[in-house]
Amino acid sequence: MDRLDIERLGGLAGIGLPGSRIRSQGTLDLARLAPADRAAVYALFSSPPAGTAPQPDAFRYRLTRHTPAGATTIEVAEQHLPAAVCASVRDVLA
Amino acid sequence: MTCACTIVPKSVLERLAVDRRFPARARQAAANSARVSDELRLLRTQALSLTRTTHAAGARLLTLAAAPELLVYDCRHTQSLPGRLVAKPKTARDSTVKRAWTATGAVATFYRQVFRRNSIDGAGMTLASSVHYGVDFNNAMWNGSQMVYGDGDGRIFLDFTRGIDVIGHELTHGVTQHTLQLDYSGDAGGLNESLSDCFGAMFQQWQSGQDVHAASWLIGAQIMGPAAKAKGYTCLRNMSDPADVRCLAPQPTRYGDITPGTDPHYSSGPPNLAFCRACKSAGGRSWETVGPVWYAAMTTGGPQPQLTMPQFAARTRQAARQLYGARSAIVAAVDDGWTSVGL
Repeated sequence: MDRLDIERLGGLAGIGLPGSRIRSQGTLDLARLAPADRAAVYALFSSPPAGTAPQPDAFRYRLTRHTPAGATTIEVAEQHLPAAVCASVRDVLA
Repeated sequence: MTCACTIVPKSVLERLAVDRRFPARARQAAANSARVSDELRLLRTQALSLTRTTHAAGARLLTLAAAPELLVYDCRHTQSLPGRLVAKPKTARDSTVKRAWTATGAVATFYRQVFRRNSIDGAGMTLASSVHYGVDFNNAMWNGSQMVYGDGDGRIFLDFTRGIDVIGHELTHGVTQHTLQLDYSGDAGGLNESLSDCFGAMFQQWQSGQDVHAASWLIGAQIMGPAAKAKGYTCLRNMSDPADVRCLAPQPTRYGDITPGTDPHYSSGPPNLAFCRACKSAGGRSWETVGPVWYAAMTTGGPQPQLTMPQFAARTRQAARQLYGARSAIVAAVDDGWTSVGL
């Protein structure tokens, strides 16, 4: 069963940066996502979105998909992600 | 279901729209979204492109208004931008709406009175802010055409409109977009973030009437929630001591310590420290001494999207000489500030 690890980065608070005291992480069982959201996630891995300039202070997300074939990691801007994936992370203080 | 502001590539939506593994309703939704996805995805890029083209053509913007109109929208905890327009934000019962309106107006006044700048674009651009964005959203941002504020989760962060430096920070991203047009990566990205911190802090000091020694130089102190405070964290960043362990996101203090590819919120540490030290060395009020130097370096000389930190440092040294004379104390203060961070 495919698993998705999600790490939220950046934002005004610099979440997850080197030395940062705040981490924002989550894990999803991809099979439990709504079909459209799941398809959107798979599409991100098959053809990561390119091009648009980063938005000041907006979050980025590091996604690692674990499959029987191994793990793959990509990094995408918040606007490319289904809301359910964005909502799966939890901010934790060190 | 994607959120309303999610911009999935059109090709993906088109693929979903004809994929019979998905329910008809999902396919229809994807098809509908595909129709507008290009326009949505390109909105911000177009805003940047318009700004750059206007400057490149040498066109001068006609003034829209003597002072900017202030609009506040309520996202009602959705991620649909801009949200619903609030009719009378000045007298709203919603304190978040009222704060966003009041502080945005104060930032506009700050830029007008101190730097003779009429709004973000220098031509009276309407200032739009959206509040109550998302659910427990721990962020605030400038999206290329407006400000966006989350309510915070009430645990680590409070409502982001509580930080007037945060509001000054976000609006300054707009000023940067209309002046230096800095990229958001590498040295330019760090400078982009630093300028927002510098002018956000300066605005806070101006509004409080604080001199450089009375000022805290903390960014985001007013939005720290009870859980963060309980652990001893006092701010997001400390401009006078970027490596301060009480910061939620400590930063490097020397230019040579910035490694390639780091986030702009990390690499902004050295230029933040240079500005703070220059201000302290000059004494007095930041917006009357070193502030005009930074503003001149930001607004004269045209767009420089890939400006490096050494180049920006040189710009400020030159601006200080032009504004105050080669032998002035301000020139020495600016030089000390940059030298202390290795530039």
